[in-house]
Amino acid sequence: MSANTKNGDFGKRLKTMLKVDFRRMFLSPAVYIMLGVSLALPILILVMTSFMGGADPETGEQSASMFTSVWQAIGSAGGGMKMDITGMCNINLLYFLVAIFVCVFVGEDFRSGYVKNLFAVRSKKLDYVLSKTIVLFTAAVGMFLLFFVGAMIGGGIAGLSFDLAAAGTSVGGIIACMLGKTFVSLVFVAIALTLACVGKQKVWLSVLCSLGAGMLLFMMIPIVAPLNAGILNVVMCIAGGALFAVGLGAVSNLVLNKTSLV
Amino acid sequence: MNAIEIRNLHKNFGEKRAVDGLDMTVPEGAIYGFIGENGSGKSTTEKLICGLIQPSGGEIKLFGKEHTDMEARGRIGVLIEAPGCFPNMTVWNNMKLQAANLGIKNEDEEIRRVLHLVRMDGAANNKFKNCSLGMRQRIGIAFALLGNPKLLILDEPINGLDADGMRIMREILVDLTQNHGCTALISSHILGELEKIATHYGIIRGGKMLKEMTAEELAADCPTYIYLKAAYTDRAFAACRQAFARAEFDEEKGEIRIYDKTSAEEAASRLYNDFGIAVTELGTAKISLEEYYIDLMKEGE
Repeated sequence: MSANTKNGDFGKRLKTMLKVDFRRMFLSPAVYIMLGVSLALPILILVMTSFMGGADPETGEQSASMFTSVWQAIGSAGGGMKMDITGMCNINLLYFLVAIFVCVFVGEDFRSGYVKNLFAVRSKKLDYVLSKTIVLFTAAVGMFLLFFVGAMIGGGIAGLSFDLAAAGTSVGGIIACMLGKTFVSLVFVAIALTLACVGKQKVWLSVLCSLGAGMLLFMMIPIVAPLNAGILNVVMCIAGGALFAVGLGAVSNLVLNKTSLV
Repeated sequence: MNAIEIRNLHKNFGEKRAVDGLDMTVPEGAIYGFIGENGSGKSTTEKLICGLIQPSGGEIKLFGKEHTDMEARGRIGVLIEAPGCFPNMTVWNNMKLQAANLGIKNEDEEIRRVLHLVRMDGAANNKFKNCSLGMRQRIGIAFALLGNPKLLILDEPINGLDADGMRIMREILVDLTQNHGCTALISSHILGELEKIATHYGIIRGGKMLKEMTAEELAADCPTYIYLKAAYTDRAFAACRQAFARAEFDEEKGEIRIYDKTSAEEAASRLYNDFGIAVTELGTAKISLEEYYIDLMKEGE
């Protein structure tokens, strides 16, 4: 009888919960699939669309607005969403992937019955919500970084321009844009986490609702985190992300405390 | 101190009262057999104790503290319905997660210990989805044993276990309760197995506690009887009534039961000498928990 268990204060509890969740995430194939998709997606988009652009040979009409700069895969300068392929098929697609991943990851806890193991010995649901938010946000950061890397690779293969000035931005603007977009993912993590806590075993329901909620926010992303973002945009994204994480975290905590877990 | 103390517990699912004013006391160190029909509220009560569902009213205390208390909750090991494992993960990785959840320091050593206890050492690298029902049940028990819990809550733990699995389970529970101060709350429909180890019983019906008693009280309520068979049951039964005027009788499928302190041999000789009844089958037995339970259920109807 040599094992030692501990039941310490909030810090210790959160630490053990984070250990569980990080371990669980890295043992789950879903995270590697999502990271792989995040890397492959921009490569596929940029390479495939490079074959599709140009004018119609018969009418001479331009078929669609295609990618001319690699930075269009990251965002658009000036704010506002472009209703063309560069506005739709860019890094903002990741928010939907993040939402799906959160719902699948959390839903699996309920579907497998793992929550019984967790909550039978751990009465504080807040630990779970906080830990899941941190872990899933970390996964989202990884996805955004890999999308960026994928965009660079895809842009190189497709022979797109890397000129920052032509895209209406600078190195600082790109960094601020990436930081802003990454922190906005916290909003999507919080929304999907809340819906996953509501949906529990019904992963399909939480995925559908998360995608629906994502649609509503999708138009806002190019405004809050444009390609030529500044420090104010980053601060706004951090504040928005934190606000949603705290507010919806409290809602998730309440849902878990008031409803049946099995 | 009592390991579990429940007072006036209620749980409603809409209009349905799953648990209806339940009182329950599980003393420390007991193996508490929690018995009831399907849908009587056993699993719901266990889920309420574990905090997996919220009570509509009443009080649950674990080791004298509120059941939501982190320290009290950290002392329990649970197997409810089925082990909560990720099907695509190996048994070992599933257990590593729970070991981390419990904050166990020497995880690998502890996992090896509990897997060895349930004779599942060889299954550590199997994916959980590839394990048989019996293996899953043993793994679920190993999960519950992680971190040396002071209270085990096991819902149908012997379902799907083979004879060897049942024996191992019995040995583990007896060892934990007798030598390591552990308490076990076990719900099971396999009453014969439960009877071999339980020190206390609680019989639940319609969400209410019908009866709570110790094994000694059950033994006192379950008398020894003489059973016999004879060529002509009706004649033998009438003779028994005359020979043992003060005793109670039962007759089922040609077997006559005499609830009397007389020895079986004396009863047989009295029937033969006084009434000329030749007994073809003879013995003594005790009312089993199963029979007691069925009778109790019939009384309540």
